[in-house]
Amino acid sequence: MKKLAYVDTSHEMPLEIIIAAGFIPYKIMGDVHKSNDPADKYLSNFFCGAAKSWLTEALAHAKDWAGIIFAQGCNNTNRHYDIWKVHIETPFLHWFGAPLLDSDAARKYYRVELQRLINHLEKQFDLKITPENIREAIGKSNEIKKKLKNLSVLRSLKDIPNRDYLAAMIKCLTCPVDEVSAWLDAEIKVWNSKPAFPADKKRFLLTGSDVTYAEWMDTLDDCGIRVVRDDLSIGERFFATLIPDANDPLDALIEYYTGIPRPATRPTLQKRLDYLYQALQETKVDGVLSQNLKFCEPYAYDSVPVNNALRSRGYKVIHLERDFSPAADQQFANRLAAFVEMMEGGNNG
Amino acid sequence: MDNVKNAGDNAGKVVMKTLPHSQDLKWPMLWWIGMEKIYRTLPWKKTAWTCAAFPIELMWIYDIFPDHPENMATVAAARKQSQRLIEHAESMGFSRDLCSYCKTNIGAYDTKIKKTLGGISKPDIVVCTNAICDTHWKWFQIMADKMNVPFFMFDIPKWVSGTDEKTLEGNIDYVVNQFYDLMAFVEKHTGKKMSEKRLNKVLEKSTELSNLWREIFEHRKAVPSPYSGAETSAAFFPLVVLPGVQVGINFFKKILADIKSLTAKGEGTMPKGKEKYRVMWEGIPFWYRMRFMYDLAQYGAVIAFEPYTYSFAPVKKKCLTMEETLRDVAKLIMDTPYAYNLERRIENFEKWIDEYKLDGVILHENMSCRPSSAGMVDLAEAIMRDKGIPVLILQCDMNDPRAYSEGQIKTRVEGFVELMEANK
Repeated sequence: MKKLAYVDTSHEMPLEIIIAAGFIPYKIMGDVHKSNDPADKYLSNFFCGAAKSWLTEALAHAKDWAGIIFAQGCNNTNRHYDIWKVHIETPFLHWFGAPLLDSDAARKYYRVELQRLINHLEKQFDLKITPENIREAIGKSNEIKKKLKNLSVLRSLKDIPNRDYLAAMIKCLTCPVDEVSAWLDAEIKVWNSKPAFPADKKRFLLTGSDVTYAEWMDTLDDCGIRVVRDDLSIGERFFATLIPDANDPLDALIEYYTGIPRPATRPTLQKRLDYLYQALQETKVDGVLSQNLKFCEPYAYDSVPVNNALRSRGYKVIHLERDFSPAADQQFANRLAAFVEMMEGGNNG
Repeated sequence: MDNVKNAGDNAGKVVMKTLPHSQDLKWPMLWWIGMEKIYRTLPWKKTAWTCAAFPIELMWIYDIFPDHPENMATVAAARKQSQRLIEHAESMGFSRDLCSYCKTNIGAYDTKIKKTLGGISKPDIVVCTNAICDTHWKWFQIMADKMNVPFFMFDIPKWVSGTDEKTLEGNIDYVVNQFYDLMAFVEKHTGKKMSEKRLNKVLEKSTELSNLWREIFEHRKAVPSPYSGAETSAAFFPLVVLPGVQVGINFFKKILADIKSLTAKGEGTMPKGKEKYRVMWEGIPFWYRMRFMYDLAQYGAVIAFEPYTYSFAPVKKKCLTMEETLRDVAKLIMDTPYAYNLERRIENFEKWIDEYKLDGVILHENMSCRPSSAGMVDLAEAIMRDKGIPVLILQCDMNDPRAYSEGQIKTRVEGFVELMEANK
């Protein structure tokens, strides 16, 4: 089975269509350890480092993939698509116009875009994507989501390093679903057998831009911060809700993808806050870490009202803006450590 | 080379013969400012915030005054207020990397500065689109929440490179459906209803205004150029907030008559014999430093064409039925030259280079506008390869003077002028 890669700034790509077509959905996340020189030729110095890393990865590996699908995401996704169309050699490049809204008009449009994707895949690869194929894919997808949820809950109960959760998420977004499903069963057992949540760590909710590399997770751990909840796309947004049952599997996908917790690339701010409030109500945390990848505009806009709203409810919030880099940053570490020290014994909502 | 450097030092300064329209421009501006006062005084009148690419005509159809945060941000920059307003917004937590229009507006609203300095008041509703950028809706949503005002956004599908006609039709359907959502929104929050009669009347005036601007652009193809980017950057104001009302039409008719008179005499905006290089300017001007356009004249360069102000003149026309009219408008919203995809950008830029007989292109790589700046490297390479003329990519910002480096920009411009000279 070949990988069909996709560019998705949050969780907008209907993976179930890729699975139903018989491909392995592979989320392009770049490699922070590799130089972005190739992409720097096409994108200026004030563009998101992650997006440059994705382009760098595609320039090197597109030939190994059956094709690439772009899901409409942040401010520049469509512009990046245009650039990729010029520079990436791939037999299949598709723009999936995921609507920003969740209105009736948006749902109608979502169906049009789903059907267009299906038609394009069928024509390009000479295959048939039947409702049964999609239903089966939905079943597999939901299985992964349920297992991830079970795994995620253990973060606040057991001694689970931050990097382990990130690694699990990345595996689920890049590997074959059947392989992932079996792996998750084993991993849940391993996590359950771990010692209890360490007394010297603080429980945090992580919100903001997705960070795709473990070094940052290690820095948080080193500062005494354990991420037990999040609203990230490479995180809870992916498994917070299940794809519902519906007679027409496309209806189920429309219902799911227009109803998942909202990222900063989708209105409204209140809907995004609602998920954060719900998570904070479900799980007691000591603080909230709001992270912004340099030049990631949607989260930079949201961070001011979101963090103010959380603070007004009594939560302790620290906001950090960082480069797309695995390099240890002692200044950030000092700030985080000081923040953790400050909250010792403090009231936190 | 020495000639170029001396020119930049303003030795024997070239004075552009700009058409005397600043006095005339004050009438549409005063009309707009006066209208706002009337609309805010009478309780049955309503006001809205709108943005670029939003069909402003809809607001006039509903008898809602369209205020325009971007327009007011440019006023703040021209009045040398933008930096302090941007810094105020940054002090509230907004990142240095975010749009300077947005931060100027946030600063202006929060500090309550005067309208004449770029200030803006709370509206009854906030309406916007993401046709140009997602910043518009992020910014407008934040401000709507802050002001506790109802918010509506048009989600405009992206017309990416290679989009086929069938996909485009699906995109248009989505936008048309949202027109009906907007009608319901306006009725709910203002009590006002759509009138097809008024829609047709407003569109007639909008069509006339856009056609006049396009006719002005036809005359700009003349050599020497009778009307430069320095002039259009101010004169296009009626297209921003007054499409659908008479006052802008009168203003454009006056400009057109003067341009025709100039071209009939074979004269241009530069003194006779001084126009050496005809340049395209892509992107938003440096509103805090409009002198830049006049500085170019010292090198004999005139901005003969700019897609930015041209973008504000889509011809939104009345069709046989309201549904057809809405479909036509929906397509035009997606078809803004400022937001062209890379393939269409290259195709149209190369066409304009021929039509306007251009010697070079300046691309403003605007740190406040990533959607506009993405793809500029490919655009520049295509133009140089296909048309054989130099392209200068200038990284700067439209409203934040902190990004403008006088010496560096001068050096880059001089190098560009030398390339145009060598290319003659």
